[in-house]
Amino acid sequence: MKPTLILCFLSVALRLGACCCPILLVPIVASAEDWPQFRGPNCSGVSTSRALPVQFSATDKLRWEATLGEGVSSPIVVAGRVISTAMTGPQEFSVLCHDAATGGLNWKTSFATGALPAIVHPNVPASSTPTADADRVYVYLSTLGILGLDARTGKELWRAPLEVPNYLMDWGAAASPILYQDSVIFCSDDDLSSYLIAIDKRTGSVQWKTPRPEMLGGYATPVICQTPERTEIVVAGTGKMKGYDPATGEELWTCNTLLRTIMTSPMVRDGVIYLSAQSYGDTERILKFALLEWKDTNQDGKLSPSEVPKEFAEKFAKADKNKDGFLEGDELDHAFQSPANMAAGGSIVQAIKGGGRGDVTKTHVVWNLTNKAPSNISSSLVVGDQLFVVKKGGICSSFDAATGETHWITRRLQNLGEYFASPVAGDGKIYVSGDNGFVVVLKQGRTLEILAKNDLGDSLIATPAIADGRIYFRTKEKLLCIAEPEGTR
Amino acid sequence: MTVSSRITTAITLSHCMLWSAIGLAQPASPITIVLADNAPALEKLAAEELQGQIDKLWGRRANIIAKSPAGGGSEMAILIGSPATNPSVQALVGDRWPALSDQGIVIRTVDSKGGAQLVVGGGSPVATLWAVYELGHQWGIRYQLHGDAYPAEAPKFHIEGWNIAQEPNLRSRCWRTINDFPIGPESWGLAEHQRMLRQLAKQKFNRVLLSVYPWQPFSHFEFGGVKKQSAMLWFGYRYPIDGDVPGRSIFKGAREFYNPDLAGKKTYEERTQAGMQLVRGIIDESHRLGMTVGLAFSPLEFPKEFAAALPEAKVIRQLENLTVGPGAKQAPDNALLAELATAQLRSYLTAYPTLDAIYLTLPEFPEWDEHTESAWNRLSARTGLGKTVSLKDLEQAAAKRTTLISGERGVKAVRGNVTSLDFLQTWLSDPKRLQRPDGTSVELYLIEVDPVFYPYLDKLLPKDAGSMHLVDYTARRVAANTELMKTLPGTKRPRPLVADPSLIFTLADDNVGVLPQLATRHLEKLAKSLRSSGWAGYSTRYWIAGDLDPTVHYLSRVAFDDSVTPEQAYEDLLRPNAGGGGISERSIIGWNQIEKATDLIDQHDIGFAFPVPNMVMKHYAATEPAPAWWQEVSDLYLNAMNEMYRAHDAADPSGRRLLYTLARRYEFALEYMTAMQAVRAAGVARANRDSKTQLAKLEAAAEGLYNGLNALSTVSAEDSSYKGVIAVVTEYGYRPLQKEIARLQDEMETPP
Repeated sequence: MKPTLILCFLSVALRLGACCCPILLVPIVASAEDWPQFRGPNCSGVSTSRALPVQFSATDKLRWEATLGEGVSSPIVVAGRVISTAMTGPQEFSVLCHDAATGGLNWKTSFATGALPAIVHPNVPASSTPTADADRVYVYLSTLGILGLDARTGKELWRAPLEVPNYLMDWGAAASPILYQDSVIFCSDDDLSSYLIAIDKRTGSVQWKTPRPEMLGGYATPVICQTPERTEIVVAGTGKMKGYDPATGEELWTCNTLLRTIMTSPMVRDGVIYLSAQSYGDTERILKFALLEWKDTNQDGKLSPSEVPKEFAEKFAKADKNKDGFLEGDELDHAFQSPANMAAGGSIVQAIKGGGRGDVTKTHVVWNLTNKAPSNISSSLVVGDQLFVVKKGGICSSFDAATGETHWITRRLQNLGEYFASPVAGDGKIYVSGDNGFVVVLKQGRTLEILAKNDLGDSLIATPAIADGRIYFRTKEKLLCIAEPEGTR
Repeated sequence: MTVSSRITTAITLSHCMLWSAIGLAQPASPITIVLADNAPALEKLAAEELQGQIDKLWGRRANIIAKSPAGGGSEMAILIGSPATNPSVQALVGDRWPALSDQGIVIRTVDSKGGAQLVVGGGSPVATLWAVYELGHQWGIRYQLHGDAYPAEAPKFHIEGWNIAQEPNLRSRCWRTINDFPIGPESWGLAEHQRMLRQLAKQKFNRVLLSVYPWQPFSHFEFGGVKKQSAMLWFGYRYPIDGDVPGRSIFKGAREFYNPDLAGKKTYEERTQAGMQLVRGIIDESHRLGMTVGLAFSPLEFPKEFAAALPEAKVIRQLENLTVGPGAKQAPDNALLAELATAQLRSYLTAYPTLDAIYLTLPEFPEWDEHTESAWNRLSARTGLGKTVSLKDLEQAAAKRTTLISGERGVKAVRGNVTSLDFLQTWLSDPKRLQRPDGTSVELYLIEVDPVFYPYLDKLLPKDAGSMHLVDYTARRVAANTELMKTLPGTKRPRPLVADPSLIFTLADDNVGVLPQLATRHLEKLAKSLRSSGWAGYSTRYWIAGDLDPTVHYLSRVAFDDSVTPEQAYEDLLRPNAGGGGISERSIIGWNQIEKATDLIDQHDIGFAFPVPNMVMKHYAATEPAPAWWQEVSDLYLNAMNEMYRAHDAADPSGRRLLYTLARRYEFALEYMTAMQAVRAAGVARANRDSKTQLAKLEAAAEGLYNGLNALSTVSAEDSSYKGVIAVVTEYGYRPLQKEIARLQDEMETPP
């Protein structure tokens, strides 16, 4: 097994997905220049800001910087406030609010986390990106659930406890909430009991909760898809893209063309949902093979109860049909992966029309590519007429968003290493953050043109935010605000 | 009860009680540690260490008091020391104290009127400290090289039922440090050294050997109007850190990789002052922990500036040619040479007046052979050696042997040894040369006398000198030549005629270089040979310590219990904190794969990853495909990595650190092998004038190195040797590859 593939299991837990939505079509609560959630307006990764910098560094064009603490969550920007999260102690989680213009700390609210579940690199507990409107900030942490805080003071207004997610491979939680009208929408896909939930943003009470029993652990952020027929919540997960009714959580449609493990996020434009994803192994590689590779500690070809986290004991017992105390063969096939959804590995870039009903697999796929372009963690970006992806090694590709036609495929950005952050765009440029601390700036377009390679000096795992002409980069410990000087903007 | 000469343990009872009782309630009664008012410093340290361990295990604060509790209450008392150092122990144990050597330890429950009390002591204060650490081990604490790993769940605290008495079967357990190369402890600052020393003391090492070189900033002397000016690390090579360095964030903004205690020191004086401060710090910390300290250097190598003081001095063959030594103009009894050597020796004794021993190293590449015949005649006249063996016989024996130093190099080694030994006998006949500034003498040892001289060593060594032997570079090679160890005079006696001979244990070799290595099974064989030959013990040789927990744990356990096997030690290392469930089994499989990989590299190309400038690009020069054993090694690292991840995933979170570190380290090795295969393929493509393949392979090689170093960086924040690997492989691999890629791209874009 190649180490790069092993990393699929070991370096997974970041939900740095992508999704785009035509800003004008979706009822967004924040202003156009805000960046109110993971990857900005409706998870698009695209900003309307102008005069964004091309060349910069950790000191050049630095407006301000702030020390946060450890985290890989992205910053968000709403109503002149930059909200970040960080671990500020072994069991202390903090939400920080800085003034977007000056970097001054408006408030910082800390929470005791209690004992935190196991987690693997590069994920860390503070990995979920908050969302916010002008009144409240909504944050998620595995052991706390979702919290509603006063956006002006940081005071806790309500708390909605949620089940701590469980991952067979200890990936750890990393899902991020979004806001839609009066609801905080949150999808928790784990290996035990996945669900999509809507919480009243004013009170923290549950509006609806829809189980997703066919899903394995994953990190796709829900997106809002507006079609002529209706508005939908769309969530990518194991083997399936699904559309839900925002008012009730009812499942509207399913498109069964995805892969076993989905860590990237979709994005939406003109009623079409785009997703790139990579899941380790070939089209035969269902979950069982990963379990036998990594969880079968004694390598006897079957799983014993002690080889599976104790939280999965009930599932284990149910799957152990012959009651011999082991899972093997067919038992193992379906112990944790739904028989109705035996998705396997592969690598895909897809465009799927929203607005369907029932099984749309054969009717709503606009185009579907199988190639080596996608990353398992960094999500695709749709901007202009292109769909752009980057993966480990700084290998990038671009396709025509309308047709899937290749602009270029698997070309190097001349910046090696891991790519966990998803690309973002604005002002005709694409910003690609590498784990090695370099941000490669590309010219948006059908040919690969590198404008700059900028050194920010520290690991970049979080996806940056763009608002009001400023780009916010979160390094391992710090938040950097980069912008052209005032007079030149 | 008497203690056998080697080992007597009765740990079964305590083990059973410990692990069957895991998870039971914390001790309800107060715990007191009884320490004499005027206890030796090491016993005070022992009491504090015990107090700290109890606190971490059970969250209980044990009071340290001077007298045993009156008895009758519920207090549980642990008495620290021996009858000679603690009156309470004397009162409790009296003549029941076991017969212990100065290194023997005892952990024993003793019944008294007021109830059972636990005595933790030894035949000396440092042995008492070891007894406390052994008690911690029995409680499940594992002393890993980067820090302590506490058990996932504390066992039940009890003072009843203990009956452990141990004596070491190898009395000399020496840990070498400083050395050369950025991948070794030469890159460690004092804080990192102190951390390591604390862990070594817990593993009952009892000597530290500072291995230094003339060009390093650890001494200053002047001679013949020449002042020492060399003060550099790792042969003067430099390792800039910039954005191109994979995993650079662990360097925290530094512009160059350097020993943190010497970083930024610009002048010779600043560097030397900082270097001496570092060495003094190591000596002080070693002494605080009860370890003696020796300093090893080559008395016949001088910084190159001293060529001006030694007529026609020879440049000594080594990296960057930084030193000179005697040549044709200097006979072994040359007064000028003796004075220069004395000036260098005195510089160390003056700078480090608390040293316990000096180790004089014979040259690795002896070149001083112009006077061999006359030196041999003088040696023979003094020792009668010529009546037993001729110089020719010795040369032939060296030429024919199977160690690495054989053939012409073997002959050269013998001739150089003869000259050097003649010089040393003459030079060291003046005892004042080995005196500290206060007039007391340090112990003297000779290192790396050629094995052909072993049978005559009692005659060749300077008076009262001990010896330390290399035999060969790697443990595998030494294990194949253990018969040489038996040629030391008097090995059939309880102890050889040569005082305290010890063997250099190569845990990991610098020639095999930046790749992870293990050689525990060969060391097991060597440890048996040491015991059967009556040798005193060993001194470690390694560069990258972070890989070596399995081996060091084995050495620690087997030193006091010769029945321990590597597998048992590996299991013992992991079980308390990582848990059962096959974790140690997977790890053992993985570590066995690393041993096989180490053997393969050693066997086929010992210098495969030697950390020098051409380490990567030398493979580009080759025009033949990579040999099959490269893929075998690659597969072994892959399998080892997978086993570590498997073990890691199954382990209790509290015991995952070591497993994760090694998994990422083996991942680096796998990527390194992948990259070298690509470099080789690029070389072949170049020879075939296939530029497209050449470029693709070069890019694959650069990416492989990048990924490997990036993986390593995730576990390197606290390990300067790992950082050194990143710095070295970047400088000698990643950057040259990038440069070659750029050159080739330009070439390909230029019209013919």
